[in-house]
Amino acid sequence: MTTHLGLMALFSVFVSTVFASLMRDEPRDQLWFGLRLFAGFIGAGVAIGWLLYPLPL
Amino acid sequence: MRAAAADQVEPATNKYLIAVVAWAIPGAGHLLLRRPQKGLTFLVALTLMFATGLWLEGRIFPLGFDLSQPLVGLAAIADLGIGVPYFIAKFLGHGTGRVVAITYEYGNAFAIVAGLLNMLVVLDAWDIAEGRK
Repeated sequence: MTTHLGLMALFSVFVSTVFASLMRDEPRDQLWFGLRLFAGFIGAGVAIGWLLYPLPL
Repeated sequence: MRAAAADQVEPATNKYLIAVVAWAIPGAGHLLLRRPQKGLTFLVALTLMFATGLWLEGRIFPLGFDLSQPLVGLAAIADLGIGVPYFIAKFLGHGTGRVVAITYEYGNAFAIVAGLLNMLVVLDAWDIAEGRK
């Protein structure tokens, strides 16, 4: 659970939930918007991770 | 929905009270404004997020006026955004932070962002009370 990916996913769940509730009024819209946000967070995290992979530390 | 919500404009004197309550208890402003679904979502999500930050051994930054460490001051202001849970955690001795813990920085991120998100929730409650949403 305390892996980088696990904590990123947990962080994304919280932020997506709050933003979806802030920006949409209907529960169905909130659900879809929240899922899209969550997928965006995870997708962007994985994509940026791979982009940084070849760079030396 | 928006038109119906705009009919529920609170009197001007209540806007400040709603903003203070919304800051003190995450989601309470929306509960007062008869938006129970949003209010409960904010209450659960933001409180859990802040608690997760403490569980991950993050630090609750002290509010001070030490100009040599401006980032600590900004982090403290962000932490304070969560309201009463900040003071409860302080009172119970949580949030001392263990710098050598592998999850220390993650914990800080969770606690700080929970506070910042609650500030957005306060602004949303203010907009609803003003009749703009």
